[in-house]
Amino acid sequence: MNLWLAASAGISLTLPPCAFVCFRGSPERRLVGIEMTSLLLTLLLVALTIAFGTQPFIDIALIMAILTFGGGLFYARFMERHP
Amino acid sequence: MNARNIVEAILLAGTVASCWIGVFGMLRMREPTRALHYLTLPACFGSMLLVLAVFVHTGFSRYAWKTVFICFILLTVNSVVTYATARAFRSREKGRWKLLPGDGAEFVPPDCES
Repeated sequence: MNLWLAASAGISLTLPPCAFVCFRGSPERRLVGIEMTSLLLTLLLVALTIAFGTQPFIDIALIMAILTFGGGLFYARFMERHP
Repeated sequence: MNARNIVEAILLAGTVASCWIGVFGMLRMREPTRALHYLTLPACFGSMLLVLAVFVHTGFSRYAWKTVFICFILLTVNSVVTYATARAFRSREKGRWKLLPGDGAEFVPPDCES
C-alpha cells in the first residue's frame, strides 16, 4: 500500500460519520453533513487519482468541486424559502 | 524512504488529520451553526496540504496546477456556501435575516434599528 492509498483510506473513513449526520437530526444538521461529505469527497477523489496513477481523472474532482458550490447554494436557498 | 517521501507523508497525514478533526467537530457540535464552522478545516488546511503533497509527488505538472485550481474553488466556494447556509439557518430560526436590537448582539447597525 502506498502513501496516497493510505491517505485515501484515512479520508474515506470519515465518510460514515458524515452519513450518520446526514441521516439523523434536524434538517439544518443534515445540510451541514451533506456539505462536509461533498467537501471530503472532492479531497478523496484527488487522493485516489494520485494513488492509482490516473492523473487525467483529476477532472472528476474538479467537476465535483464546482458541483459542490451549486448544490450547497441550492439547498441553502431552498431551506431559507421553505422554513 | 527518502526525504521527499517523508515530506509527502507528513503533508498527507496533515490532510487526513484536518479531515478527521473537522468531522469530529461537526459531530460534537449540536448546534448546526457551530457545526458549520468545522467545514473550514478540510476546506482550507486539508486542501492546501493536499496541494502541497501533490506538488511534492508530481512536481510542477499540469495535474498539480489543476489541484491548485480545485483548492482555490474549495476555498472560495466554502466561504460563500457557509455564509449562505448560516443565513438560511438564521432566516429559518428567526423568520428574518435583519438584525434587531432585541437579538442580543453587541452592536446593531443604525440602519437596522428602525
